[in-house]
Amino acid sequence: MPVVLSGKEQSLFRTVVRNYEDKQYKKGIKAAEQILKKNPKHGDTLAMKALCMNSQGKTEEAFALAKVALTCDMKSHVCWHVYGLLWRAVKNFEEAIKAYKFALRLEPESVQIQRDLALLQVQMRDYQGYLVSRRAMLAARSTIRQSWTALAVAQHLSGDLAQAEGVLTSYEETLKNPPSKTDFENSEAVMYKNSLIAEQGDYQRALEHLESAGKHNLDRLAVFELRATYLTKLDRTEEATKAYRALIDRNSEYKTYYDGLIKAMGVAPTDHKAMIAVYDEYAEKYPRCDAARRLPLDFLEGDDFKAAADKYINRMLDKGVPSTFANLKHLYSSDFKKEVLPSLVQQYIDSGKSEKSEEPKRNGDTSKGASAAFYFLAQHYNYYLSRDLDKAMDFIDKAIELEPKSVDFHMTKARIWKHYGNTQKASEIMELARTLDTRDRHINTKAAKYQLRNNESEAALKTMGMFTRAETVGGPLADLHDMQCVWFLTEDGQSYARQGKTGLALKRFTSIFNIFDVWQEDQFDFHSFSLRKGQIRAYVDMIRWEDQLREHPFYSRAALSAIEVYIKIADKPLLNGSNGTAGLSEEDAAEQRKAAKKARKEAQKAEREALAKKNEPNKSTREGDNDPKKKDDDPEGIKLAATTEPMNDAMKFLTPLLQFSPKNIDVQLAGFEVFIRRKKYVLALKCLLAAAALDREHSKVHSQSIRFKLALDKELDTINPKTAEVIKSEFNLIPASVPLAKFNDEYLSKHKDCARRTLSGLTTRRLLSPDASPSVEKDIVDILKFPTVTSEEATEAYEVLKSWKSSEVDTFKSSATQTWPKATIFA
Amino acid sequence: MAEKQPPTVVEGATTGDVEDEIPVAKSAEDRKAAAALSSLDAPREDDSAGLKDVDQEAVRKAMDRLTMAGGGATNGTATKKEEEKKVVKKVVKVDQADVALLIEELELSKIKATDLLKSHDGMVEDALRSFVAPVV
Repeated sequence: MPVVLSGKEQSLFRTVVRNYEDKQYKKGIKAAEQILKKNPKHGDTLAMKALCMNSQGKTEEAFALAKVALTCDMKSHVCWHVYGLLWRAVKNFEEAIKAYKFALRLEPESVQIQRDLALLQVQMRDYQGYLVSRRAMLAARSTIRQSWTALAVAQHLSGDLAQAEGVLTSYEETLKNPPSKTDFENSEAVMYKNSLIAEQGDYQRALEHLESAGKHNLDRLAVFELRATYLTKLDRTEEATKAYRALIDRNSEYKTYYDGLIKAMGVAPTDHKAMIAVYDEYAEKYPRCDAARRLPLDFLEGDDFKAAADKYINRMLDKGVPSTFANLKHLYSSDFKKEVLPSLVQQYIDSGKSEKSEEPKRNGDTSKGASAAFYFLAQHYNYYLSRDLDKAMDFIDKAIELEPKSVDFHMTKARIWKHYGNTQKASEIMELARTLDTRDRHINTKAAKYQLRNNESEAALKTMGMFTRAETVGGPLADLHDMQCVWFLTEDGQSYARQGKTGLALKRFTSIFNIFDVWQEDQFDFHSFSLRKGQIRAYVDMIRWEDQLREHPFYSRAALSAIEVYIKIADKPLLNGSNGTAGLSEEDAAEQRKAAKKARKEAQKAEREALAKKNEPNKSTREGDNDPKKKDDDPEGIKLAATTEPMNDAMKFLTPLLQFSPKNIDVQLAGFEVFIRRKKYVLALKCLLAAAALDREHSKVHSQSIRFKLALDKELDTINPKTAEVIKSEFNLIPASVPLAKFNDEYLSKHKDCARRTLSGLTTRRLLSPDASPSVEKDIVDILKFPTVTSEEATEAYEVLKSWKSSEVDTFKSSATQTWPKATIFA
Repeated sequence: MAEKQPPTVVEGATTGDVEDEIPVAKSAEDRKAAAALSSLDAPREDDSAGLKDVDQEAVRKAMDRLTMAGGGATNGTATKKEEEKKVVKKVVKVDQADVALLIEELELSKIKATDLLKSHDGMVEDALRSFVAPVV
């Protein structure tokens, strides 16, 4: 039976709760223990104590205690609520929801438990449950707008637009007086309702609603834009045209408005004359406008293009706009335009006009005329569609001669070195560019990135350290983690991966994975915050964005790199075994362990010292800050690298990739590599087929097909007969009648001009008949003679030879060095 | 960052309820007082606006309409669950061995594996085939 407290102890209990609330966990626990001395079985007190302990980082003890509390008083909603909070803190939301639901059953009137439950449900996207919760919350507090809006959002998210709209209307009808025009919450709610109507496809009604209810809306731009969209959808040409013209007058640099205007006017996308007329009109009206001059270059062809581009380029170079090339390179997808643009720039230089326009140099506006033209050409010859690095270097040196202090020019020079394959020189020049403007964060990050590309991890961190918060515990690296600097972590991880420092590489990639978790978690606060602030449209956008979070290239890049590292770990024991170097690697491991131990101890020491320092001035009040959970017990990633199940660990990265980026061929290829090693043949086949559907002739699709067939022939007996049947009938990439060697030879002769595919075919040949190895290795060296071979392809071939410990490595190296004399990658 | 989060998040999301837990936690006898306290506390944020502009009678009517449309707010959980079950339950019998095979080969949860099998009338080969086929 539940214990009943005396009056004095009740007030003590309130102190416990207040202490928890004020984050004074130590005090809270003391007070709780005082109660427990007399009433050792008081459930609520035990639960509160557990909650305080959890906040101190003693998660396991907290859970144990919370369970004791529940056995003492299993009918207490406080105990269940606390139990839910504990699950919530370890992010097991499903268990938390269960506990909350139970607490709510015991105390159906509790607003707080209901609210906590609702927030968890929407976080978990349990829309049906969320609807129920929101209904209950509305019933409890039906006079508040928030409750109604929240229910509408719940219905919206669960897909019932009409109902959602109805709920908002219901609330509006209860109002005695119309809300004031400056009521921001109302203003947002009106626009939200409008978006609901439009989303139902009823543009007529949406327009009417916009013109009546939205007339004095505070978000004027949104009203203008939506009105223009609706009018276009309703084919009210004249009004739509007018609406878009008004928008362009507000902002004449926004492409969408021009597109809208042309569409509203009913101009066909092929009618260039009519389109150019529109742009010309605005170019004349707004002499400083760029969009109206730049956009026609997208669709113009032939002499029209030439004339327009000439005008545009002259204008930009005269002004010395540094972004001229960046602004035009999108046109390079057209071969014609790719030829015309540099020739126009060359003409500009030859005409001597650049000299003339050098006269009116105004305050600090340095890179004008000639230097701008040289800069353009340097970028042109550095661009991957029009690359000629020697010419690029020539032009950038000319530009630098004119403007020796230009950061931009040096940056491009570093980039040219990068494309030469000389990471060291690239890093040096970028560092030089950095010193030209030490207070520019952009060039600072560039310099750090190039240092990482050159595997100078420490130097890069030092460079970054010039812009991180000095007082962060743990130095720049900790700050970059805190600031979720994903690009740095990715580059740092990839740099470690190149250096073979598996642990640190995995550490960084795991950090990125965790940052994405944090972003997922971050939305939690907004479920209530956005409603309180009334920013519903932004909130719904955010929810949809969160649902697609791991689609982001940041994620795929880090995850693919992590999987690659894990695959290397998985394959390594085999390599060691065959080469008889297992003993050596064990020594290595022991060495690593020692180093790790040392590093760990040091890190702990530093942490302790830092905490001690932090605590002294305000010891009692800021207990919450001494977060013991922050301590990292594996700063070097040794534990990550020591995994015995690398393929299972890789799954953590792979699963979201396959879910969110199925159209990325690298994802499917990586999926195959993981599944084939895990002997999950159906899943491997699914990845392989998906990759083949994306690019049938991809070099890896070819080699993976053959590897799959080989694995299948070998393992057929171990596969469930039903599964085997399906695999056989669905695996259609290699005709059953053709021998693998012949299939491979056909692929080779089909792609005899492509270095990458030839490399794939050759490695496959060696796989099929290991005896052929010497001749295969020789053939790989010959890849260098391909007229189209790139240094990237050569690097891949080089890596393959090195991994085989081939005797041809040196021949390849000297031959490659001849082809790419400036590159350091073959050194 | 990731590890630092939980305690603050808990607090952020629940300060309101901990505040209100004080009265509630006082166990049985004080419940009345607690209820009064929390009802004082509850509409606090925008109480003034609510009372001034909202027509209480209209709210009551709107709520009634909503309750009718929504099929009852309180027993909503139960009805919803039943409905869901009805939808899923087609008259397809599945072999547990096939489900186990799908779980093993495709690494699906038991629920998803069963659903996949059911949507192919219990034919495990068809289920596998449709799973493998590339999405176009």
